[in-house]
Amino acid sequence: MKGSAIKYVRWGIAAVGLLLLLWIVIDSDTRAQFVTGSGIAQGALVAAIALGVVLTYRGSGVVNFANSAIAMYIAYVYAVLRKEGDLFLPPLPNPFAPIEGVVHWFQDTDTFDLPDWPTRISFGPNMQFWPAMLISLIFAIVLGLILHFLIFRPLRSAPPLAKVVASIGLFLYLPAVIIRRFTIQPYTVKPMPFFDNDAKPVKLPFGINIGADALTIAVLVVIFTVLLWVVFQMTRFGLATRAASENEKGAVVLGFSPEFLAGANWVISTLITGLLGIFAATIQKSIDPAVLPALIVPALTAALVGSFTSFGLTAVAAFALGMQFGLVKYLEIQHSWFPSSGGTPLPGGERFIPLLVIVLVLYLSGKSLPTRGAISAGRLPFSPTPPRWAIRYGGPALALVTAILALFVLTPPFRLALSNTLIGVIICLSLVVLTGYVGQISLAQMSFAGISAFLVSKLTMEAPIKIPLPFSTKMLTIIPETPFPIPIIIGGIVAMLVGIIVAIPALRVRGVNLAIVTLAFAVAVDKVVFANKSVNGGFAGAKVEAPQLIVEPRDVSYKILGMKAGDGLQPNPMTAIFCLIVVVILAYAVANLRRSATGRRMLATRSNERAAAAAGVNVSGMKILAFAVSAFIAGVGGAVIAYRSGSVTVDKFTYVQSLTFLAFAYIGGITSVYGAISGGFIVAGGLVFTFLERILHVPSEFTLILGGIGLIFSAIMNPEGLAGAVRHTGAQLKALIGIRKAQAAPPPGPPPAAEPELATTAGGH
Amino acid sequence: MALLETFGMSVTFGGLKAVNEVDFRVEEGQLVGLIGPNGAGKTTFIDGITGFVPTTGRIMFDGNEIGALPAHRRAKDGLGRTWQSLELFDDLTIRENLQVAAEKQTVGSFFADLVAPRRKRDQSNVEFALDVLGIGDLADKMPNEISQGQRKLVSAARALAARPKLVCMDEPAAGLDTAESTELGQRLRSIIDAGMTIFLVDHDMGLVLNVCDYIYVIEFGVKIAEGTPDEVKRNPKVIEAYLGSSAESDTAAEGGE
Repeated sequence: MKGSAIKYVRWGIAAVGLLLLLWIVIDSDTRAQFVTGSGIAQGALVAAIALGVVLTYRGSGVVNFANSAIAMYIAYVYAVLRKEGDLFLPPLPNPFAPIEGVVHWFQDTDTFDLPDWPTRISFGPNMQFWPAMLISLIFAIVLGLILHFLIFRPLRSAPPLAKVVASIGLFLYLPAVIIRRFTIQPYTVKPMPFFDNDAKPVKLPFGINIGADALTIAVLVVIFTVLLWVVFQMTRFGLATRAASENEKGAVVLGFSPEFLAGANWVISTLITGLLGIFAATIQKSIDPAVLPALIVPALTAALVGSFTSFGLTAVAAFALGMQFGLVKYLEIQHSWFPSSGGTPLPGGERFIPLLVIVLVLYLSGKSLPTRGAISAGRLPFSPTPPRWAIRYGGPALALVTAILALFVLTPPFRLALSNTLIGVIICLSLVVLTGYVGQISLAQMSFAGISAFLVSKLTMEAPIKIPLPFSTKMLTIIPETPFPIPIIIGGIVAMLVGIIVAIPALRVRGVNLAIVTLAFAVAVDKVVFANKSVNGGFAGAKVEAPQLIVEPRDVSYKILGMKAGDGLQPNPMTAIFCLIVVVILAYAVANLRRSATGRRMLATRSNERAAAAAGVNVSGMKILAFAVSAFIAGVGGAVIAYRSGSVTVDKFTYVQSLTFLAFAYIGGITSVYGAISGGFIVAGGLVFTFLERILHVPSEFTLILGGIGLIFSAIMNPEGLAGAVRHTGAQLKALIGIRKAQAAPPPGPPPAAEPELATTAGGH
Repeated sequence: MALLETFGMSVTFGGLKAVNEVDFRVEEGQLVGLIGPNGAGKTTFIDGITGFVPTTGRIMFDGNEIGALPAHRRAKDGLGRTWQSLELFDDLTIRENLQVAAEKQTVGSFFADLVAPRRKRDQSNVEFALDVLGIGDLADKMPNEISQGQRKLVSAARALAARPKLVCMDEPAAGLDTAESTELGQRLRSIIDAGMTIFLVDHDMGLVLNVCDYIYVIEFGVKIAEGTPDEVKRNPKVIEAYLGSSAESDTAAEGGE
């Protein structure tokens, strides 16, 4: 797009924004809905999260996806102290756990229980406001220090992908701890002593009446914003932080260590986020662990509007984006022009607006190639070429063993786990292409899968769908009836088309911004598409008509090579075989991709976009191709899920599921097909967790806790994942054996340089 | 007709004109040099020609106006380049680095890649590039396993593997000693003999004056002289702007790499 055209679009957006503002100011009814106490609390909460995001970004270059989770965690600390007088602790590693595990293996009851770490520290039945606030804020400081020293400081020279991944690990971990300690139900928050609930609301001009508490939090946000601005503009600390974000030497010249600055900004960020989080939770009277983390999307949107630099712009945008939630809900009910679907208003408009803003901001500000000096430091994890033996023998052997296990060995719960694992492999493969080969990140893989899954439901249950042609009696078939395997392909293709549309911002942006777009997309799709009753089939889910062979339990067993397969129980062993066939096809396609010319061009793009373009690689085209292939694979995965379960339910395709799969794909190893297979083993409901749950009696809430911690740990210590660790160990063993052989039979007159060379090639990269 | 010709090409960063209204031409089969002191806009000039910074003015390449084309299109049309900072693909072997530049991608080849990734492809350009720079023995190593001097050769080989009509070389001699630089000069001449055209940007006056057929001199983004090596050597403006201080800028360039 030419510069002048961008200018017109900018003016267009500004004009639309101004008109909206005027409408809100003039129409008193709308205004009253826009500016409500809970609306302001929501706006202030989003602003707090967004300010924290900007602060950590300026201090340490990390886009903290977990800041909403941090706000929630600290609000929980406060609320629990007030109500129960306890400080709850996250699950700590228990040295007795392995002993318990082994005993549980042999004995099926829960009677054997060794002492565990305490889960709470009690301060009495409940706590007054000030001590509770004090402890919560000290907790916030400690949390900030932990995040800096244990997670983000070790990652300071890592590529942006690793930092995003670590913060997503945190995003999964913190809510998982809360759900483990409490429940997924909202937790009520006691009011603060100095806000009288019965007091009359404060009267403001334009007929706006809001509570004193809402006014206080709004004023607090304004004060913090101004303070941050002053600190960054006028103090040496702020100057040094600004200098450090350009060039770390700048900070050193000013007498600050960049490490200190990053740590200090983390602490200030968690402190402000926590404090405002506590206020917002108090005004809203409860904290909802199922909803609050998603507020990171409007917060990141606001931070983007402020270019991750301007506190003022960020705060204003965050307030607007937070406050529009109530207004959109109101408009849904009140106005007939609001888009509707199946007689009810289209849900999720309030989630769609941030996505729209993000796409516009990124499209207007992005550059299509990194300019000189902007190339990211740090390398992405190595992506090995699949060796010949793995393609020729390893893959077929693994597939054969899996098939034998599924047909003859596994009990029903483990058959279920096996198909979960196989589906996990599919989703991990989709991330291998996108993230492993091309270095792009998507937090919406399960949204693509879900779109395909619900489409498969429509294709099998409602096809052929016909609409009357205008001016004639004929009907036009818009969705024809299709026999069994074809809906999988159609689902994949439709997911692919959606993926391409999402990838269009990727032409102009990269790295972290793309993570933000896809996250906003995932959250919007959850609410706009999947929460739509005409799509999701209501409480029971959308039914799928699957071939008898896949879903029927069948008390008759199959005869395969004269042996009896299956035990007449759900799930049918053929379900796992069906998943296995799809996995084998996709795994070979993805492995072949890495070995081919296309794969080389993908890795070239990942490695260096400018050099790739100079070598004639269409960098934008490669990214779109990767998104297309990845979304197609995810779509196929969604279709497999649909056929496997016989019905499609929303909970499998939420944005949290997308993040969870990313976590397991990364832990398994996001750069190779082995990695995807390892990732499949450890997905929620997969073989490893089923083993932990059924044999070692580890509660299932630990899936996300372990997933979150595992993700953070992988990002820091082991970016190539389990597969990489295995490969390295193998290479080291080879090197050892090689050295031993060399010692046993020294070649005649060995050149002195030979040995180090051997070590570098074998130990490699 | 010239292979590459610019008419009033400018590159602007903020208010600063890094390249200012430069007219410039490269005839087919020539080795054309560009010299100028540090910060004169030499790399920016290459960036502009090859599509990595936006330019104003006209750029004609092989009879077509290319000023509005994206970088990869210019590369496909036969305009190759190397990088001062080499920019090898660290995740690929040396051979694969060259293959990326040499292989053409089509929609059909993508689907073929899913099924038969190792099918036979024409590797003659890769072999040619390995041969002409004498690095055939490095082909299966990774970029982090070879020396800096070898990496330079790989960077050049990658550009040649696409068999470009014109290859722009950004400071290929930076950091080389005199003997290596002389050897590089011979390699460059053999590339010309193989039918390609070279546009060479370098600090190394000895190299540029020895091997180039024609030389341009820029300072602060403005062209101050052009001509054959002998003409340039005698040009008083050049002597004042560059040659007079060539000793210092050479050492500064090497120290700053």
